[in-house]
Parts: sequence; structure tokens; C-alpha cells
Amino acid sequence: MDEKFDCIIVGGGIAGLSAALTLAKNDMKFLLIERGEYSGAKNVSGGVLWGSKLSELVPNYWEEAEGFERFINHRRLTFMDQDSSFSIDFKSESFNETPYKGIVVLRAKFDNWLSGKVDEAIAESKYPDESFIAPNILVEEVLMENGAAVGIRAGEEKFYADTIIIAEGVNNLLTRQVGLQDSYVPADYVATGVKEIIRFDQKVLEDRFQLDGLSGMSNEFIGWGTQGEEGGGFLYTNKDTLSVGLVLGMKDLREKGKKPYDILNEFKQHPTVRDMIKGGEVVEYSGHVVSTGDIRAMPKEIYADGVMIAGEAANLLMNSGKAIQGMDYAMESGVLAAETVIEAKEKKDFSKNTLKAYRHRLEDSYVLKDMKNFQNAVQLLHKPEMHEQVPYVVCDFGKQFFSVKNEPTPKTTKMLLKSVKKHSSLWTLLKIGIKGARAL
Amino acid sequence: MEKLSIAERLGKVSYLNQTKTEAKPHIIVDTDICNSTCPHHCTTYVCPANCYTKDENGKVHFQFEDCIECGTCMFACDQGAVDWNYPDPEIGRGVKWNFG
Repeated sequence: MDEKFDCIIVGGGIAGLSAALTLAKNDMKFLLIERGEYSGAKNVSGGVLWGSKLSELVPNYWEEAEGFERFINHRRLTFMDQDSSFSIDFKSESFNETPYKGIVVLRAKFDNWLSGKVDEAIAESKYPDESFIAPNILVEEVLMENGAAVGIRAGEEKFYADTIIIAEGVNNLLTRQVGLQDSYVPADYVATGVKEIIRFDQKVLEDRFQLDGLSGMSNEFIGWGTQGEEGGGFLYTNKDTLSVGLVLGMKDLREKGKKPYDILNEFKQHPTVRDMIKGGEVVEYSGHVVSTGDIRAMPKEIYADGVMIAGEAANLLMNSGKAIQGMDYAMESGVLAAETVIEAKEKKDFSKNTLKAYRHRLEDSYVLKDMKNFQNAVQLLHKPEMHEQVPYVVCDFGKQFFSVKNEPTPKTTKMLLKSVKKHSSLWTLLKIGIKGARAL
Repeated sequence: MEKLSIAERLGKVSYLNQTKTEAKPHIIVDTDICNSTCPHHCTTYVCPANCYTKDENGKVHFQFEDCIECGTCMFACDQGAVDWNYPDPEIGRGVKWNFG
């Protein structure tokens, strides 16, 4: 491997693999380096890949049904207090149509499968013997010459390329090394996710969640489950397991002193969650830092001479309350970075003059448009009222509204006001309501 | 469903190079900082793998063997005590997720 590649991709997660797939289809010579034993061996996600971009990269991927767990046709947002839960529940047969609008994935399986698709694309390209996926290798340094990235070093070995795509994930050491992000990133804009994979008999799981074939459900939780800490919970149906976990704001975690796995234990004991996971066996516990979607956490720039940053290494992630999007952003940004590599090669200019087209592409895409448009929603979601008051008001109201007593029933408005007064104030909720209406 | 202890949970994690007696640490913690000027010792409770512990005298200790490479301590420590790196695939510890 003495020759120079068109591109070296650092990281074989979704951003890196999507870039690789795009490069392979365009007959580029590249080296993708993954530090895990296989793609996905080091990756953790909640797990829903939203959107239908995957069907562009791997047409008719659903016919194999190997990479993903289930498609989502049932969504639920649950507000919880200590003993109740109040859900917004939406299920639609229209979501059964391919291409699916969201699929549940387990990264150790999904990324590994996607890397197989990259291998196939390499084999079909003009240079089947000149592009490589190299697992089990840790890139320690991006090599710089006259301020431009020219290659990478792994141990004693050095490899060179016209462009480098850094797709290393949220713990973005190389992004920091090349100077695009500060060497210390504060806890304010990140969260810690903890998760368990809980296994069931597949039939039990399908009956319990009313799943048919490959259909699946996503359920997010806000309120009591995080024990007063900013964040929320999630539960997704896999083939014969559930992904159950929490995402906890790291600043709050640091200030309040609770342990994330203790909070997870409490969450699992909530009656609503308890009944859903009953009888299951925990087969894996995992955890990972996750960006919160605060645009202030993004690197100073996402390109420089010879280098581009894709996926969560560039903090591309968003939770606006409607969906937690990260993997689809990784996919989109990986593809756009690869398209910029192709353009740079045509122009024979790998400086930032050409690579800034990557930023333009990302600005024109839904990724940065949404991140900008919904920034207020992201910040609203992180306000303490959202997890400390709103869910309690909603559940208290539910308890009144849905209980039938042998006494005169108050009007609904009166019930609502009572709940509001007990757990919040009209003024607070009015402010949230107006902000929310504008933000969403 | 019973509550799981952190030890039981970590028992469900696959780690690399477990048979190697001397794995190379990928995170270096300057516990002198933790045990002198740090006002919060946050790593002892934010770490999802309980790699940071306090002894009976309140001193912070760190072990990398149970680390799941999540990155929490790198962001949470604002005292400059954590030198965070990825483990070496050959001679380091670290995880291999079966589900992820």
C-alpha cells in the first residue's frame, strides 16, 4: 500500500461507511480504517436510523432484512410521573411501505452489514484491488504538511492521501488534533447514554408490542424516569430484544451526583416500563457519550486543507423532541464529504478552497437547515421545566380526567388548572407553549 | 425485573485482550489533581462503568480495565486530570459490542 489514496477515511461507523460507499461507486481509491475488530464493534446508539437515505445507498436493502432489526410504524411519546404515564401514541399502516421512514438498528450488526456492502461496491468498482477496509487499526495522528492534512499515522505505519475524512465519532480526538475543535470540550453540550439490551422469546415480544412481521415501535420517555436529571428515556423493539436506556445531560449528571446506572435501575422499575420489560433477560449493558444537538458544540469549522469532518465527530445530531436524529445525519454528511472528495479530484485541488464545498453542501442539505431551524426547540427541550414540571402536570391531569368517581365531575378546564397549579404555573406553561409553538 | 448491580452489568460486556496480564492503559488519570484541588470528584459517579472509585479515606482511584470507551470522563472532568485516548487494538483493553 505504498501509493497515495484519493481519500483516507478514519472510522468505519455510519458516516465513514456512507462516505466509502459513495467513493467506491465513483471509482475512487480509498482506505477506510476502523479501530474495532469489525465495523460496529465500538459503536453504540439508541437505535433508530430515521429517514430513507439508506435506500439510496443500498437499494432494496429491506429485501435481505439482515442489517436492520425492525421498521418503525408505531411511535409513542410518554410523559411519566412516579406511578403514571400519559402517552401520545401514533401508529400508521402507511409507514409499512418501503422505503421505510425509520428502522431500528443494533450497531454491531448494522455497521458490520453496511461494511459488507462497501466491500461489494469496491469489488464492482474500477479499482477492486486498490481500495481497502482495514479493521483493528487505531489512527493515532493526522499527518500535516504546511498546514494541510496529507495522511495518517497508525503506530509506525504512515499512509498518505489527497484528502482525509475524519468520521471518528463524538470522542473526536483527531478533530481536536487538526485544530478544528478545542482540545477540551465542556460537558455542557453533551450527554451520556446508558442502555441495556433485553432479550425475550420473539413471539412474546411480538405479542406484547403488537408487532407484525418486521414492524416495530419506538417509545421515548420524559419525566420521572430520569430522576430529576435533564434528559429522557427510550425503548425500541429489535427482532427478539428491546433496547432500553436513558440519555442524561452531562452537566446535570455532574451537578446532581447520581450514577447513570442507578437511574437506569429506577427507570426500569417504573410500572409502565416494568410491565413492558417483564420476563426479559439483560444480555448487554452499554454506554456512550452523545451530542445533544446544540449547535454551539460544533467544531469551529468542518473542513480545512485536505480534511473534512463528518458525522458525530462534527457533532451532527439533533433531538428536537420529535425524533433523535444522529445516524441519518452521519449518513448524509458522509455522502456529502465523499462527493466533495470527488469534486476535489476533478479539480485537482484539495485545499480548503475546494473542500469548503462540503460546508456548502451540508448547509444546503436538511442536516444543517434543520439543526439551525430547530435550535430553539433543542434548547427548550433542555430546560428544567420540560422534565421537572410538564410530565407531572400531564400525568396529574390524566389521573383526574380518566378517573370516574361517584361524585360530581369537575369540568376539564378546572382539572387542568388544578394540575398546573400543583406542579407548575400557568405563566411557566404559557411561556413554554409559546416558545414551543414557535420552535417547532 | 430485578435491579442489576454495576458488577453484574459489566459482566455482560465483552472486553478485548482479557487474557493478557498486562494491557496498556488508554486513559491516564492524574489522581493527584483529583485528590488535591478538584472540588467535585464527579468521575466517581458519572462514569457508567464505575472505573473511578473513592476509598475509605475519600481518595479517588482509577482503573481502566472496566472502561467501555464511552468518553464521559473526558467531557465531565473540567480539572484537566483525564488524559483520554482510544485503546490500542493489540495491547490495550477496551470493548467489543455484541449488540451496540
